[in-house]
Amino acid sequence: MATDSSTHSSSDRSLIQRFDAWLSDDMSPRRLVGVYAVLSLYFAFLLLPVGYMLLVTFTSQEFLYSPQLIPSLGDLTVENYLTVLQTGAFQGYFVNSVVIAVSTTTLTLVVGTLAAYSLSRFEFPGRQSILLSFLATQMLPLVLILIPFFLLMFSLNLIDSYLGIVIAHSVGGIPLGTWLLKGYFDDIPTSLDEAAKMDGCSRLDILWRIIVPLSLPGIAVAGFYTFILSWNDYLLVSILSQTAATRTLPFGLQLFQSQNTVAWELLLTAATITIVPVVVLFAFVQSYIVEGLASGGMKGM
Amino acid sequence: MATQDISSSPLSPYVAEFKRFVSDTWLGYAMVLPAVIMLGAIIVYPTLRGIQLAFFEVSLLNPEQMTFVGLSNFGQMLSDATFKSALWHTVLLTAVAVSLQYLLGLGLALALKEKVPGAGFFRSASMITWVLPGIVMVIIFRFLVQPDFGPANIVLAKLGLETTYWFGRPGVAFPLIVVMHVWRNVPFYAIALMAAMKSIPETQYEAARLDGAGPLQAFRYITLPQISYVSMIMIVLHVIFTFNNFDIVYLSTGGGPLGNTEVMSTYIYKQAFEQYALGYGASMALVMLIIMMAFTVVYVRLEARD
Repeated sequence: MATDSSTHSSSDRSLIQRFDAWLSDDMSPRRLVGVYAVLSLYFAFLLLPVGYMLLVTFTSQEFLYSPQLIPSLGDLTVENYLTVLQTGAFQGYFVNSVVIAVSTTTLTLVVGTLAAYSLSRFEFPGRQSILLSFLATQMLPLVLILIPFFLLMFSLNLIDSYLGIVIAHSVGGIPLGTWLLKGYFDDIPTSLDEAAKMDGCSRLDILWRIIVPLSLPGIAVAGFYTFILSWNDYLLVSILSQTAATRTLPFGLQLFQSQNTVAWELLLTAATITIVPVVVLFAFVQSYIVEGLASGGMKGM
Repeated sequence: MATQDISSSPLSPYVAEFKRFVSDTWLGYAMVLPAVIMLGAIIVYPTLRGIQLAFFEVSLLNPEQMTFVGLSNFGQMLSDATFKSALWHTVLLTAVAVSLQYLLGLGLALALKEKVPGAGFFRSASMITWVLPGIVMVIIFRFLVQPDFGPANIVLAKLGLETTYWFGRPGVAFPLIVVMHVWRNVPFYAIALMAAMKSIPETQYEAARLDGAGPLQAFRYITLPQISYVSMIMIVLHVIFTFNNFDIVYLSTGGGPLGNTEVMSTYIYKQAFEQYALGYGASMALVMLIIMMAFTVVYVRLEARD
């Protein structure tokens, strides 16, 4: 390495030295190139489809329907976004999505935190079975539940209401959320609980003043999973939502397609807008998610 | 025991302990109760009802009227060619998609693990495909293969190859479904496997190097054994998810062309909600449940290990 950089000017050298210092000792240039080559292949496969969708949404309709891959500067426009954002029905679906996903996340976190605290700190008969049956509910085929579930919601008069969809989504999120939060709660030493108890804190005080503040990363991750579960759901909404009043974005995207024709420029733009909140939230919690996955199993999953 | 002699009543410490135990237990139950009630009402009860429906003939148009038909729904499956092909497609899809996801995820994990500049960006960017709504993924892929203006077909046309709406082509639609499953889940495997790899102490690799082990041997004898637990979890979990998956097939091909991509969940959905045959749909869902039971038991055992 030193012989390489000695042929360059001093400013170049410091740059290369900085780059060098960044690499670990056993990272040879050949290995570096190999790693980047592999990563490029993967990311071309993973990100190009999304990236190309993003590009197309900023181009004119003429370009989209032309047999050309690369737009010229003259093809660029934000017209698609203006059209989609000004569509009244789309705005309505967006509001529905936000209301339902935020309510679902709140309900799931409250119910899940209580359950996780109980399962993490209390000893009672049936604790282990409750924990494992929570996990098992995640494995049931949704289509088996769907039929009686629909009949149940129908008899409870919860079809086409926010409440029905929020309950359905929360039930989807609670097992995973509880399991995940329990993992974080378990990592908090019980000596803290004991100390707080000495100071006269009740069990609920301990939960609210010690456990919750110390598990904020876990709560963020559980909240994120619940939010995307609700935000991304198509199947349950397609069954529970009968009118535009409760339709959310994933189901509402059909607004831009009919039986025979698809307004691709609008559909892709609406799809892009749909993923913005998810991607933004993901950017906030991704480090916790990666960290959580390190401990294996369901924690962080 | 010494305290017994000092305290006024010999039993009072035990009474206090018993009271504390009862109140603690009571509070423990009370806090877990909302979750248990919600899951019981919305998941367990419908599941039991679903299992019951499998032995009845019920129409979605008049769900109150149930006729007990014993095992005849299951008999109907044996002579239902669509059911058989849907079951075969589901098994094939699960086997191929999960294998590819694992192998490609392992490769990506090995690359992401390396300490190269920009590794942090690659790690966080890779999960994007996993957080997208299924419908958005399907819209993207359907756009890619549109005739005339879909980017994939533009490239094929430039190369002088055949162009068509590939989701409508028997023989291509099914591989495309596999590609979507792989596209969506590879990053998740990669991040989980990478995290497991990073928790292996570097000293083990150094010791192996001193003993003259090459990179392949180090991978075989150090890395693989220590990521086997996470690998098992990932594989079992995704076998279950892929087997049960509904939206990818339903939204992209709807089971077509000519039933080429029909899987269990889409066929059941159609039977129940389009043909109104709730009982028959439920009986097929019960078959799915039974097949998945084995994997669930393995998964729960793995998770319960600690």
